[in-house]
Formats: sequence, C-alpha cells, structure tokens
Amino acid sequence: MARPDTGPAPASEPELRVLAIESSCDETAVAVVEGGRAIAASVVASQTPLHAPTGGIVPEVAARAHLRWMLPVLDEALVRARLSSPADVDAIAVTNGPGLAGSLLVGLSMAKTLAFLHDRPLVAVNHLEGHIHAAWLHTSGETRPTPAFPAVALVVSGGHTLLVEMQGPLEYRLLGRTVDDAAGEAFDKVGRMLGLPYPGGPAIQRAAAAWATDGHPGAGDRAPRDEPSALPRAWLGDTLDFSFSGLKTAVRRRLFEACGGTADDGVAIPADLVGDIATAFQASVVDVLATKTALATERIEARSMIIGGGVAANVSLRAAMAERAAALGVDLVIPAPSLCTDNAAMIGAAGSQRFLAGERAGLDLGASPSLRLAVAR
Amino acid sequence: MGDLLLAIDTATSRAVLAVGSLADGTPRAMDAWPGGHAHAETILPRLATLLSTSGVRLDVIGGFVVGVGPGGFTGLRVGLATAKTLAHGLGRPIVGIGTAEGLAAAVGLHGPATVILPAGPRDRYLVPLGVGAAGPRLLAPAALEAWLADPANDRSSLVAVDLDDPAIPDEARRRGASALDGLAPAMLGLGAAALAGGRADDVAALVPAYVTLPRGIAPWQGGVAWSPDLR
Ligand SMILES: [Zn+2]
Repeated sequence: MARPDTGPAPASEPELRVLAIESSCDETAVAVVEGGRAIAASVVASQTPLHAPTGGIVPEVAARAHLRWMLPVLDEALVRARLSSPADVDAIAVTNGPGLAGSLLVGLSMAKTLAFLHDRPLVAVNHLEGHIHAAWLHTSGETRPTPAFPAVALVVSGGHTLLVEMQGPLEYRLLGRTVDDAAGEAFDKVGRMLGLPYPGGPAIQRAAAAWATDGHPGAGDRAPRDEPSALPRAWLGDTLDFSFSGLKTAVRRRLFEACGGTADDGVAIPADLVGDIATAFQASVVDVLATKTALATERIEARSMIIGGGVAANVSLRAAMAERAAALGVDLVIPAPSLCTDNAAMIGAAGSQRFLAGERAGLDLGASPSLRLAVAR
Repeated sequence: MGDLLLAIDTATSRAVLAVGSLADGTPRAMDAWPGGHAHAETILPRLATLLSTSGVRLDVIGGFVVGVGPGGFTGLRVGLATAKTLAHGLGRPIVGIGTAEGLAAAVGLHGPATVILPAGPRDRYLVPLGVGAAGPRLLAPAALEAWLADPANDRSSLVAVDLDDPAIPDEARRRGASALDGLAPAMLGLGAAALAGGRADDVAALVPAYVTLPRGIAPWQGGVAWSPDLR
C-alpha cells in the first residue's frame, strides 16, 4: 500500500479551551490548553520531596497527597489561565490510565465532578499518549516545530518504555516495549545502589556530568576520565523491545566486586566509582534507546521522531537522539524538560485531539491502571 | 444560599448519598448501594439520579457532610474527591465526619462506643468513640480476638460493621447491620449539627482518616514542590 506523503495533521480549533487533569502517579497536575497546543496554564504539585525518604512512591501516600493538593492546584491553574470558573472551558480532559489505581481515582473523581457540576463534556486520555502529545505543546507566543507523520514516538519514564508508530495524531501501533524494568525505574534502582538521592534520573545525570568535568580523584588504576568503564547493552536481537534488568545486575556485580556491596546495603561507594558507573550506565541506556528509536524510524520510514516521558529530560539522551535524527534526516521533537515529566498540559493536548475527534466519556468513567496505548499488529 | 445538606459516605461496603435539611438533617431523599470497588463508576450517575428524582437542583445544596473513614481506601478516595470538588465548586461549607461516629449514631450510641470495621481482608479497624477516646487502631486478627476476650472492654456498645468473624458477638454484628441501614440519616444529623455549630472544614485539606501508614513511612506534614509558571 502506498504511504501518503504526509499524514493527517492534528485537528486544530483556535478557540478550543480544555481543562486537563493528571494524577496517575505522584504529580498532581492541572492545566488549561488552548487551540489544542498553547499552554494557558500548567501547574504541577510534585510529591518527589514526599517520596524521597523511601526512595520510591508509596501508593497510599501518593493518593492521599493528591486528595490534599487537587483543589489548590486547580485554583492555581484557573488563576494563571485567567479563568473565573471551570465552566469557562469547552471540555475537561482527564487521565484514566495507566497508573496507580488510587492516584488515578482522585484526579478522575475531580474531573468527573467538575464535568457534572458545570455541565461540560468529559474526555478520557491515556497517560502515555499524553507524553507523546507533549511534543505539540508550546507556551504562548512561542513557535515550535510540528511533528510530521508518520512518526516514531519513544515514551520513556519511570513506569514505561515503549516505541510507538503513529500514522496520525490518534493512531498508535506498538513497535516495542520493555520486557522487564522501565528505563526510569532502572535509573532509580541504580541511583539507590550508588547512594544517590531519589529520583535516580537527575541524580545519575548530575553524577555523570560532574565526573566528566571534575575528573575523579583517587581513580588509581581505574579507567581514565575520558573512557568510562563499559556496561552491557541488551539488544534482544533485532527486535524493538528493551531490557534493562541485566544492566542493573551488571552494576550490582561491579559494586560487589569493587566495594563488597551496594549503597542499598549500607556500603559507602567512592565518589569516583559513582561517577564512573553513572556515566557508563547512562551511556548504555541512552545507546539502546537511541539505537532502537533510530531503527524503528528507518523501518517505518518515519518523517519525525518524538520523545516523551521523564527520561526524555535527560540531556545525554536528548543529544544522542539529535545525532540520530540528523543522520537519518528526520525531524526530532522533544518537549521542554518540564513537559517531559508528568504534567496536565500534555493531557490537554491529547484531550483536545480526542475532543475534536468527537470522543466523549460518561460520568461512569473508571480508572484503568493497566490501560494499553496500542497493541502490536 | 441553599437550605439542603448533601451527605456522602463511601467508607463501608455500602455507599450512601443523602439529601436532607441543612437545619436539622431531616432526610429528604437517600440512595445506598454496594460500593464494591466501583465507587468511581457509580457515584456521580447515582447522584444525578437522586437529585433529579427528588427534584433537587445542585444550587440549593447549602452544605456538605462527608464520611472520612476509616474504611475502604478506594471508596474513601472517590467519596472525598467528589465531595470536596462539589463543595469547592459550589462555594459551600463542608464537614468531614468519622464514619465510625456516623455508624454509632445510627444505632443511638452518642457516647462511649466501639466500632469495628474491616481493614483489608484480615485486619480490622478498632475505633473507640466518646469523650477522651483514643484514636482508631489497626488490629491483626489475634489482637482483635485478644481485645474481644478482655473483660475490661465493654461489649455492650460494640458495633461490628461488614464483619462475620466468629469471635465477634452476634449482638455486635446485628448492631452493625442496623448501623449500616441508618448511616445516611445519621450522617445528615451529625453534619447538620456540626454546620449549625459553626464548624466548616478546610475543603482543600480534608483527607481520609489515617490509621496506619505502610511500614517505615512517617506521617508527613510538609508541602509539595510546585512547578514554575509555565503559562
Ligand atoms: Zn508519565
């Protein structure tokens, strides 16, 4: 079948104003998106400080914090968007999955109650498509490139790692996914082994950057600064699937060999070794993500690459993707780092598309903790 | 200002919605159904039906009372999120009432009493009520049996809800069944009294009653990190 030269562009309705709510994990977020792409307001209350002492999200604590912060976040978003009431929007979009059941229920209940109270249409949005649609967002006055179809989208976060083919704004086909840990989860776990603070992603990036620029006193006979030790990459043949558990095990093995244990076991890891492993680990993850995304782009003859999810905020991944995109001659669209991590503006962008496509959810909409975005064909 | 009170409780096996007099809680319309784990799917459609069949418009609701548990997590999250959003959106006062207090009041116990509720499949919430009563506790099965066997504990004002543990006296279980039947009017009464007494809770800060936290988690009082303005 001949492939159209350009896919369908996302629908646009300049006057459309969508209130969006996201609470699938540990960020309570409300946004107002106009014309499907412009951020009129995006407010995120992050529970990261709350979960830092346990080094991970405790679902009970997360759901309770959503309940505590949902109304202040809503109010703040309305003020920033200069709206006096949720009645002043055309639709309400909400994440109904995937995510933590208890967390999803809070945002979902608020969204549905607002829709009921103000008699506004309700639209259900998949959190993963939200991460992809963040690529279309811009702040007021800013112009950003529009991803062309067909597109390959890599969603990479603490809970997800998947590659998706898009022939249109709401047409998803699964190309590959992680068979074990999500990339962001591997960052968190390796961060803990190295004794770095939660969340692991930014901490590992900082440790690697510091190691590259500051050198590593006391490195002794270990690899010199410009050559971090190598860690394995799981290619899984020529599939577009990912695996990060072997890499995590390799880090553990190295720490046991060098220090007799990990920071998880209370062992102090020398700073130069932390920097070396952080660098090697990040390089391995980035190499696999970039290589498979490039491979997918070639396979489906995509015209653009989209990266979304919290790990897309990683500077080294962004640089590697830019190189691959340039080599392939395709567009690369990565949202600003603040729109890569969980936020509601991305739900507003995807929700605008679903609203314009005529989709409506009822007041009986439930949470779908393991909602799929797309299935392999 | 409306003159009706809306009550929501989703902490027990039976979700309840009720509309009554804001002045004294006298019921006007009520609905109750098995919440299961489908509170999110059912609560708003049922509220819409309750309001339309009883001819009550939302703007005549002048106040809200919501059960804050302890009880099932799923129900409490949905009930609280719904009640909070309604009260906030309509700009009406809201009070949170302990579900155990409502259950005890439903069987005429307004002083010292003890309510036992399920806390997951095996553990139980033990909620002592009355002036100076200690806070709710989470009991493992053996601890509950020990509590029940201790003659120092008054079993005549024991209310066991949603439980068929053999160690629990039949009378307490019967009281529990009656308490569930009377929960909606009891919440209306307690809510109306609280609001009439000038109480109004901070709608944003209202969260379910905490009994225990997962192991290793300390109660948390701090804030969250707010995003910079992305407008
Ligand atoms: Zn996410």
